[in-house]
Amino acid sequence: MKHAAHILRLVVVLILVGVIFFAVRSIMVPEDFGTQGSYSYGYFRAASEQEQKELVPVFRGSEKCKGCHDAQYNTWAQGKHYSVACETCHGSWHAHNNNTKDAMIKDNSPDACMLCHASVAGRPATFPQIDSIDDHIARKGGDPKEGQRCSACHNPHNPL
Amino acid sequence: MDNERRQFLKQACWTLLGGGLMVSGALSIPGRAHASGGRQHLYVFLVDTNRCIGCGKCVAACRKENNVPQESYRTWIERYAIGNDGTVHVDSPHGGEHGFKPLPNAADIARSFFVPKLCNHCKQPNCVQVCPVGATYVSKEGFVLVDERQCVGCGYCIQACPYGARYMHAVRHTADKCTWCYHRVMKGMQPACVLVCPVGARMFGRIDDQRSPLYAVMKQEKLQVLKPETGNEPMVHYRGLDKEVR
Repeated sequence: MKHAAHILRLVVVLILVGVIFFAVRSIMVPEDFGTQGSYSYGYFRAASEQEQKELVPVFRGSEKCKGCHDAQYNTWAQGKHYSVACETCHGSWHAHNNNTKDAMIKDNSPDACMLCHASVAGRPATFPQIDSIDDHIARKGGDPKEGQRCSACHNPHNPL
Repeated sequence: MDNERRQFLKQACWTLLGGGLMVSGALSIPGRAHASGGRQHLYVFLVDTNRCIGCGKCVAACRKENNVPQESYRTWIERYAIGNDGTVHVDSPHGGEHGFKPLPNAADIARSFFVPKLCNHCKQPNCVQVCPVGATYVSKEGFVLVDERQCVGCGYCIQACPYGARYMHAVRHTADKCTWCYHRVMKGMQPACVLVCPVGARMFGRIDDQRSPLYAVMKQEKLQVLKPETGNEPMVHYRGLDKEVR
């Protein structure tokens, strides 16, 4: 054969390329990759599931507040705001517990109430809402000029 | 003449042999045998559009719980306002995170309502199929998740999602989206948005959990999903969904 040397060289180069490819591939692709089922949905790094499970929850639920804030908890549990979790208004347990006590949001400004209770297009008609605080106070027999807050009449933990 | 025929038969044999090898190779790929991989889709998210008041607490809580970058949203609220003349106006200022303002032309509105949206964790997710590097997948429990270590940030999945539920994470430069708070649910907790919703417009649970309030709703109510025509089989169900919602 006239070109035997050429062909041999070519084959050696191809084999080398193949070896390098599979060597790099075995380093780059994680061992647990593609062990979970079909190509269409199950082709992934299996350890990723566990990594995501280990993320730390920030919001912990109202039961967490009970021990230290019993009075507020009991008031809240009997009232109309029972469907509203503590952390909905006060911010996450994680922020409160991990840093300082100041990290707990205590906002009883009218804006905080009006976020839910302002009359806004889109809200269900059955949901309690008011057009303006001044009108509401006037209708209830108060004087809007006194600058009263909602919490003067309504206990946020157990509103009327 | 004879030679030509022989040539043809020879080539035909090789073609058949080659084709056969390719097919058998494809069939022998590991994992093909158990295509479902033991996956189950038992979890369901239920959104009640009759209850949502558009306060945006869910959007804010989601941002804190999952460290979502500003101007990106794993969940958001849309307000639909349908005019007396049939025109549909949709707004979602900052994803509804800071609530909604009254609409100026209230008299012209026939009906208006809020529609919270999030990842639908589809049974047949487009986004997973298009990922070229196996960085997004369906977990054993049926959650569609993103592996941020594998993701190369090509953005195919973001384009493939018919619900616009995915975004490019501004810090990590990888695709990101709602996980239904996988890390919480696996610890027996509710997703953060469900926990903070003051009116119970969001419900989450297993279809087979008879103690869950969701169980009765799923059994008895007439529910809808978004864009069923895409064939993705979304797992977020809506109660009271208006025909104008897309």
